[in-house]
Formats: sequence, structure tokens, C-alpha cells
Amino acid sequence: MSSLCLQRLQEERKKWRKDHPFGFFAKPTKKADGSMNLQKWEAGIPGKEGTLWKDGVYPVVIEYPDDYPSKPPKVKFPAGFYHPNIYPSGTVCLSILNEDQDWRPAITLKQIALGIQDLLNSPNPDSPAQEPAWRAFSKNRKEYERNVIEQAKEYTK
Amino acid sequence: MVYSAKMLNDLSGDEDSVELEFESDSEFNDDEYGEGSDTSDELLYKNDKKKTDYLDSINQKESLDRKPLENGYENDGVPRLTYNCLTTDQIYDLVLLRLDRIQPIFDCPYGDIIVMLQKYGWSEERLLEDWTEFEDKVLISCGLKVAKQIGCSRGLQNHPDFLCHICCESNKRKSFRLECGHEYCLECYQHYIKDKLLEGKVITCMGCSLALKNCDIDAIAGENSSQVLMRSSIKGFIQKHSNHYKWCPFVDCNCVIQVNNISTLSEFPRFHLSPYVVCKNHHRFCFKCGLESHAPGDCQVAEVWVKMAQMESANLNWVLKNTKECPKCGVNIEKNGGCNHMTCQSCDYEFCWICELCWKGHGGGYYECTRFKKDENNGAPETKNSLRKYTFYYKLFSEHENSAKLDWALGLAVEQKVKALQENIGLSWIETQFLPESIRALIEGRTTLKWSFPVAFYSDPSHNLTKIFVDNQALLVGAVESLSQLLQVKEPQDIINRKLEFFNKAKFVESRNKALSECGRDLLCKGICIARTT
Repeated sequence: MSSLCLQRLQEERKKWRKDHPFGFFAKPTKKADGSMNLQKWEAGIPGKEGTLWKDGVYPVVIEYPDDYPSKPPKVKFPAGFYHPNIYPSGTVCLSILNEDQDWRPAITLKQIALGIQDLLNSPNPDSPAQEPAWRAFSKNRKEYERNVIEQAKEYTK
Repeated sequence: MVYSAKMLNDLSGDEDSVELEFESDSEFNDDEYGEGSDTSDELLYKNDKKKTDYLDSINQKESLDRKPLENGYENDGVPRLTYNCLTTDQIYDLVLLRLDRIQPIFDCPYGDIIVMLQKYGWSEERLLEDWTEFEDKVLISCGLKVAKQIGCSRGLQNHPDFLCHICCESNKRKSFRLECGHEYCLECYQHYIKDKLLEGKVITCMGCSLALKNCDIDAIAGENSSQVLMRSSIKGFIQKHSNHYKWCPFVDCNCVIQVNNISTLSEFPRFHLSPYVVCKNHHRFCFKCGLESHAPGDCQVAEVWVKMAQMESANLNWVLKNTKECPKCGVNIEKNGGCNHMTCQSCDYEFCWICELCWKGHGGGYYECTRFKKDENNGAPETKNSLRKYTFYYKLFSEHENSAKLDWALGLAVEQKVKALQENIGLSWIETQFLPESIRALIEGRTTLKWSFPVAFYSDPSHNLTKIFVDNQALLVGAVESLSQLLQVKEPQDIINRKLEFFNKAKFVESRNKALSECGRDLLCKGICIARTT
């Protein structure tokens, strides 16, 4: 791991501890030997109030590559997570997390977390990443809403 | 077809006649097409007149020499391709020249226009269209204008103690800032830019989408860094516009051929001709399919053959490498044990694995064979079934492919020889030119030979013309091999003494090459050679 990556991640952690949006959590994972693994974080993204997602806190794993912050981190929900823009593997398809699109080295963990929260209730049907949720979202909104509420119960606060 | 590897070394002088046209098929120069051959030559070479470099005049001479050859079957009404040979740097220079003309329309600094062109994939037309309608939107979408002015100036900044939000280190002294107010330390910016230079896209601020201009990139990452970006961007452009531009397919050659009259391309197949172009390193390739020169076959033959070779070659390579055919019944046999005493399972013929002769009279030499292996390629090919026929031609094809590769190596050796000649015997450069010319004739002969096997493969073997074609093939083989042998001569004085021999043999190869190519085209035109996928 480059020192740039490490240093930046330490700072990200400091900033997060000092200030993070309400209802969110994020912490680095532990390595097998008990030390902190700054390149892999576990985080919880709460659904926005007043939306179908409001009852859940959705777990994500954030993995930072060695060449972070040149390259964006990879954010993953549990496999099979129901959302039109989340791949069957759980990987999130979001422009700010795509190096060829809107990723900027200056984007912080807070911005990523808020970006994902935003994505939950405003999916982008133009870049589908999985079939079931995308099909339901564009063809059968009732079924989609039912499934989202069902899923929220799995991840209650 | 006119061979004009126009060299644009002194672009500044040629600005009137050479214009880079992006995405505009319509404006090709009609004058250079369909005119009498003499005048069009005049036209094509008017740019080269001021050249003093001898290499260029050789090039011209060569092109003119070939003229009668082309005229052998190219009369009026036959397509001619006009093209330029450029490098990415030259294309960029042309872009810069072009900027002079369009700058007054935009009334922006050059750096801004370059960013916009880059964003629009170097398409002036599309950019101008959008520009005339919504100037402001274009500026914002290209990252040249901040949505909200906050009064920050762009450029390098000096601080006693600056905290960078990318690396999170304090006490940085130098930083860079754009009008958006985002400011990061110089090292982070350098790191970031280094990664992006080869991607060829507009590089933006690390915090938002405001664009870095070439002057910013040079200020941050050092002089000429923006050149690297421009080069990669233009590479992307060439990739995208492959109908106008093609890379020379030869290894380590970075020439780009730009065809001016691209509508002519569709005329070639009708005549069973291929739009060959020659880059300034004398590599000749087909502009349509991007393969090396594949005469006497046309693009159709080449395509079908290459496809077939791709499908078959994996199997075939294994078969060729691991098996031998039974000398009697021709079944493929894989040797799975150590003994050389083979017994064919299909016809019970007993033979020696090494010399492929009958085991009787072989004596007791089970593990070694003292007989020479017979030459497989002598004698007529047996074409019992299509795979065997194909295998036969494929072997020859790949053999000549290998030989051609070796000839390239030979070419390098010849360069050394030329140097030695100049130094040891004190010959002038021009007097040694027969050597590179011979090697060129050799390589071109070899390439034609190589591609004549697919033509032979797809031709009707019973037709008389096919037999003539095969005879022509044999003659070219003879000519090529004898020239190849001559080029092995190492002693400098000997080389000079045999200069005439070099010259004659090279000429002979050229004329045989031409004859074979014409004969092959005849086969195609008369429908005797039909390439189809099996």
C-alpha cells in the first residue's frame, strides 16, 4: 500500500469520527491479526426518511484499492441486494464511483455515503445493473415497492 | 493507384495543399481522381518538390518506376487512392495549423479550443454546430467556465504551510488552484496527471469537472507533458475514424495513413484489386482490411483465409507438431512411446518415425536413425481430402511467413553492411542503395509468394490457368531464393563486385512478382479462384 493511500485513509477516518451524517456508521475492518485494515471498511447506509427505504440500515463494504485516491473505492452491498443499479454481486453502479466518469480524487467518504443513500431512492433506469429490480421498477412499480419494503424489514434499524 | 507517400516534414510550407479534414467525406479532392496519369502525378508530387532529402527523391523515383507496372492493367476508370502518410505528431501539427483558421470564430484562447475539440472528439463540425447555438453551455460542459464565479485565480500558488485534502499532508509549499477554488498540492496533481496523460481524455480538476488546459498541465507536470496527452488523444481519434485513418500494421511503425478520397475505396473489389498504401517506412499494406499486402489475392481471399487459419490453426498446429502421417495411408499418427519402430494402426504399415521409411531394411536401430529424412515438399501435393490440401498450403504459407520474418532480420543486417561499405570502401550513400532496394524487392516477393498459396488453395486445380499460376509461383520461388542467397554475401568488396548481379536479381524478382500478381488477379476476375468459407 502506498503511503499516499494510507495517509489519506487515516485522514478520512479522522474526519468521519469528527463529523458524519446522522444514522450512518463506518469503520475499518480488522485483519486476522487484530490490527486495523484501513483499505476495507464496513458501513451502514440508512434509508432516507419519507421513502420506501426508511426502515432499513443497509450494510455495505467499502474497499479502497492501492492507488486510491487516484482510483475510486469499490462499494458492495450484500450479494443479491434488490436495487436496479446494484449488480447481482452487490457492487454499486454509481457515476461518482466510476473512474471513467465522475470520480475525483477529492471525493470523501461522507460524499460517497450520501451519494449511495441518494441512489437508494432515486435509481437510474438508464443504467440497469440487475434484471429483477430493474424490470419491476420500469414495468411493475407496485411489485417493486413491495419488494423494497420487504427488503427494508430484513435490514431494520 | 498512385503511390504517393507524401512526406510532410515541413508542414509549415504546405499549409495550402494539405488540410486535415475531420469527418467530412464529402470534401475529398475530385481533381486527383480520374485524371490522366501524368497530370495527377504532377499534382501529387508538387508538394515534394522542395525536398532536398535524397530519401524522398528515391521514394518518388520508385513510385514513378512502378508506374508502368500499374498501367499494365490500370487504365482510366480504375480507382486511384490518394493518401498521406503522417505521424501523430504531424497530425497534431495540422490541428494546430487548423486552429489558426478557426480561432477567430471562437474568439477564445487556443488552449480553450483544444479542450473543446478534445471533448468533441476532434470534430470541428459538431463543435461549431453546438457553439453557434449555445456558446455558454458548451463552455460549461467542456469545463471551461465555472457555474459560479468566486473570484479565484488559476495557477500555481506558493504557501508557507498548505494542507492538501487529497494526501492530507500539511506544510506543503506549492499547490495548484483553478477558478473553482479547489486547491491541491503540486505532488498530488503530478501524480494524478501522470496517470491520466495516456488516457487521452480532458483532464479535470481533482475536485470538480473544470478542465485543465495544456498550459496548466505543462506547468504542473513539466514541459511537454501536454504533448503526451495530445498524442494519446489523437490516437483515440484515429481509432474512432478508422475509415479515414489507419495505423501501419507493421511492428514498431507509427505511421498513420490518411486517405483523402475514401469513396474510391468501394470501387476496388469490383476489379479484384486492393487499396494498397505504402507508409514512409516502405511498409505496404491494404487500407481496407489492414493486413499486409496480400497480392495476388484480393481482400476476400485474405479474409476467408485468415478466418480459416484462425479456426484451423490451433488444431493444425497441434497436429503438425505432434503427429506424422503414415507414409502409406496418410492417417495422422501420434507417437506416445519412445520406440521409433512404428506400426500404423489403420494399415499395419511398419515404418521408422525419424526417416519415415519402411522399417524393412532399417536394421536394428530402434532408438536412432542414421538416414536422412526425405524432403517432404518435393513432389506434387496429394490432395486426397480438403484438410490435407489445406494443411499443405497452410504449411507453405506459414513457412514463407517465417522466411519473411527472417528477411526483416536480414534487412537489418544489410543496413549494417551498407554502413560497413560506406566506411571501409568509402562509397557514397547513393552507391550502396542497391542493397536496401534488393531487400525491399525480396520482402515484397516473399509476401506475394506467401499470399499466393491461399489463391492456389481456393482455385480450381483442373483449370489450365491455375497450372500457369502454379508455374509462375515456382518461378517466383526460384527468383526469391536466388536473391535471398545473394544477400547472404558478407564480404564488402565481394558485394560491390557483384552489384550488377544484385541489381539483375532484384529486377527479376520484381518482374516475377508482377507476373504472379497479374496471373492471380486473372484467376479472381475469371472466377476460377473463389474464396468461400467451408
